[in-house]
Amino acid sequence: MMAPALDTAVIESLRQLTPPGEPDVLKEVLQLFLDDVPGRIERLRTAWQGGNAVEVQRAAHSLKGSAGNIGAHALHAICHQLDELGRSGDLAEAEDLVPALAAEYARVEAEILLLIG
Amino acid sequence: MAILRVLVADDEPVSRTVVGAMLKKAGYEISFASDGQQAWQQLAAPQPPAIALLDWEMPGLAGPEVVERIRARGEQAPTYVILLTSRDSSADIVAGLKAGANDYVTKPANEDELIARVNVGARVVELQTALAERVRSLEEALANVKALQTLLPMCAYCKSIRNDQNYWEKVETYFHDHSGVSFSHSYCPTCYERFVKPQLDALEEITEAQRRQKGR
Repeated sequence: MMAPALDTAVIESLRQLTPPGEPDVLKEVLQLFLDDVPGRIERLRTAWQGGNAVEVQRAAHSLKGSAGNIGAHALHAICHQLDELGRSGDLAEAEDLVPALAAEYARVEAEILLLIG
Repeated sequence: MAILRVLVADDEPVSRTVVGAMLKKAGYEISFASDGQQAWQQLAAPQPPAIALLDWEMPGLAGPEVVERIRARGEQAPTYVILLTSRDSSADIVAGLKAGANDYVTKPANEDELIARVNVGARVVELQTALAERVRSLEEALANVKALQTLLPMCAYCKSIRNDQNYWEKVETYFHDHSGVSFSHSYCPTCYERFVKPQLDALEEITEAQRRQKGR
């Protein structure tokens, strides 16, 4: 049994950020994640295919930020590795990480869809 | 305490929204920027935000570059800057603080820690604003004192003083306007003997004469 893709404690603390009578912050943040992240993953994949380490690093870095904020720890860890590889300029090891990134994103997306209904 | 405005500058929308929501919950007014250039536009405006949370890596202008620009302006009450960074190596932190940031927070931000650090910033900003106001009023007072140190043209007979607008003012008025000094009027013993006493004596003589006239 795999660990949940999203940390429930983090999700709970996001839920608590909503001021009384205002739109749900958790929903807003998760929706933003769904709107923003696939494009960045696509950019990372394109950069990786083109051997552009600088662009891989940039995309991985911002993805890492997004993943961290919603408690997607496994996704965060993959992005962190890609960030480091991009920084070092050696993309050979990214071979397995790019598909892993897509697979983990799919898990996160499924859990988000359950949460926001 | 006035509500302080905090700028959240981050190109990554999820972080920006989460950090903004944390600050809003803590009672701050928020403005957003999605890159370094936008952040700089807000910071260079006539009424810049009191506190800025700047992402370390932003397209256009990165956080440390924005800080350098703020510091180069040399204002009396400059924006308090916290760098948001997911890099936690001490070399990066030192570089950010050297560039002029007041503090840093690593991403993803922990709500309690972020708010505690922003609150420290708010205290510093309020102190700085109060000090800048104090300096301003002291400079104003000093300017007035300087005006008193210059050579004052004074009438040799009536002791009026010629002011900057070429009007002759009573010495009391001039000093009151230039130093806040007020005069209470009295007389010294010499002048009492010379001016006041003869007047009182004369008055007494008149009264005495009137009394004698009535008694007749």
